[in-house]
Amino acid sequence: MPEVMKLEDIRKNFGSIQALRGVDLTVNGGEVLALLGDNGAGKSTLIKTISGIYPIDGGQITVAGKPVRINSPREAMDLGIETIHQDTSLAPDLSIARNLFLGREPVTIPALGVFAPLDLKRLKAEASKLLRRVGISKNLDADAPVNSLSGGERQSIAISRAMQFSASLIILDEPTNNLGVEETNGVLRFIREVRDAGHSVIYITHNIHHVMNVADRAVVMRHGRIVADLMIRDTDLLSLEAIIMGADAATLAAGLKHGKQH
Amino acid sequence: MGSGSFSSVLKKPETTSFIILVLVMVGFTLANDRFLSPLNISNLLAFMPELGIIALGMTLLLTAGEFDLSVGAVFALTPVSTLLMVQNGGLSLELALVIAFAATFLVGALNGFLVTKVGISSFLVTLSMLLIVRGTTLVLTQGFPLNSWDGDNWLRTALAGSFYIGTVRIYASLIWFAALGLLALYVLNVAKVGNWITAIGSNRSAAVARGVPADKVKIWLFIATSMLAGLAGVISSLRIASASPVAGSQYELEVIAMVVVGGTALTGGRGTIIGTIIGVLMLRIIRNGIVLVGVPGLAFNIFVGVIILAMLVLHARFNKSSERK
Repeated sequence: MPEVMKLEDIRKNFGSIQALRGVDLTVNGGEVLALLGDNGAGKSTLIKTISGIYPIDGGQITVAGKPVRINSPREAMDLGIETIHQDTSLAPDLSIARNLFLGREPVTIPALGVFAPLDLKRLKAEASKLLRRVGISKNLDADAPVNSLSGGERQSIAISRAMQFSASLIILDEPTNNLGVEETNGVLRFIREVRDAGHSVIYITHNIHHVMNVADRAVVMRHGRIVADLMIRDTDLLSLEAIIMGADAATLAAGLKHGKQH
Repeated sequence: MGSGSFSSVLKKPETTSFIILVLVMVGFTLANDRFLSPLNISNLLAFMPELGIIALGMTLLLTAGEFDLSVGAVFALTPVSTLLMVQNGGLSLELALVIAFAATFLVGALNGFLVTKVGISSFLVTLSMLLIVRGTTLVLTQGFPLNSWDGDNWLRTALAGSFYIGTVRIYASLIWFAALGLLALYVLNVAKVGNWITAIGSNRSAAVARGVPADKVKIWLFIATSMLAGLAGVISSLRIASASPVAGSQYELEVIAMVVVGGTALTGGRGTIIGTIIGVLMLRIIRNGIVLVGVPGLAFNIFVGVIILAMLVLHARFNKSSERK
């Protein structure tokens, strides 16, 4: 599989705190990569640098073979990187259709700039088509406001939006955090479908069962570095858990000391 | 689908407001038949656009999740500075207006800059701005209303002229209000930027993550609101041919009341221009009707407050029933 994105020696500091201390990571095409690690390990910071929220302080990002700088969420999207945050990805008062196209609205008279009229017909037609394609259209009306949907439906809509713009890399930041069991299973199933459709997925979670269930590869971060990178088929739940907890004694001790300070 | 769309129309906040508006009008007409007299309608229509024009800007701003308490003060500043330049400085009305509106633009831009870039809440920023702008107006005039201004000018006819339809006197300002209302309706519901305004008020971080320039949109909405408040002030002052440094006092609260009575949420994300127009009509009609019905002057605000509160309770109930947490 060709590589979708390559990170080399990515560094990010917040004042004197080194949040990322040289991260090297290659994301391959069509894989679900689970990004694991304790709170404060640097997962969120890493994701925010890839999705254009934080500028990096050092290192090189390569997307589809080209070195790039990602300075804004918009630039990340234009590079085919779509990020779905926990539960902040949709505007609840807007309709499903308007959410799907937020920031990339189809308009009829583009010359009018931001005052250009939305192409409401196309908006609705494409939204309905998308809802059908991803199999969540059963009784969803594209004109219904997002605040009338369940949490699982909302996440599915957010993920569909990423697929619709043919993102090569979809980043999911704890997408099942506030969901029930049934809805979580729906979202996990959906993640597999996304991968089967050819998109790469970075999936951040604390739930190791989900990782075994849905991911192809697990990458573990600790103290701003990647400490393990393994294929799911080569590991099992217990070993993975041990690695996340800090398998070697030295880091375990450091983790305990760190814990005491809080 | 037919019954579905019917019930969704019923659930719209502006529908509730509209039904209550009709009930209020029927009530006042039954209580006093002068309510629908041409003279009373003329009076209603003369005042209404001035607050209504401000309410349009305020609706867009509230939808984006911010509000502006300085509009009443700007309502005085723009015409006072214009007429001072005309009467004492010998400037033409046109030039004076350009300068006054440039200052008005700066007030809005400063509000927007302080809220978005410095990160102070719009309540605090615009409250301070209210004091600064009102204070400036008082200093400029030494606290006295300006002399009446009888200059004739095409702008005066265009902004504050009037004509009769039958026996009802129509002011040009009503046409401006209607045109600006249509424009605001288009901006919020049809234009691309309207989608952004709602998204920003509904979930700012989601909008930003989609590449929506949230700060820029908010700054321009503050500017638009200030400019509309200035325009309303100029229209009012040209109509009465004078300018007072205390004009527009407490208009900020009246305007916000009109907007929320119409169904726009104070917390952002839900805005309705149709609702605002209904809200503007409602508050003007209630204030006018209560006097005609003969409620004692001192008890007047009790009634207005109770009616506003009743409307908000209704909206809250409707929102609760249609939302899923």
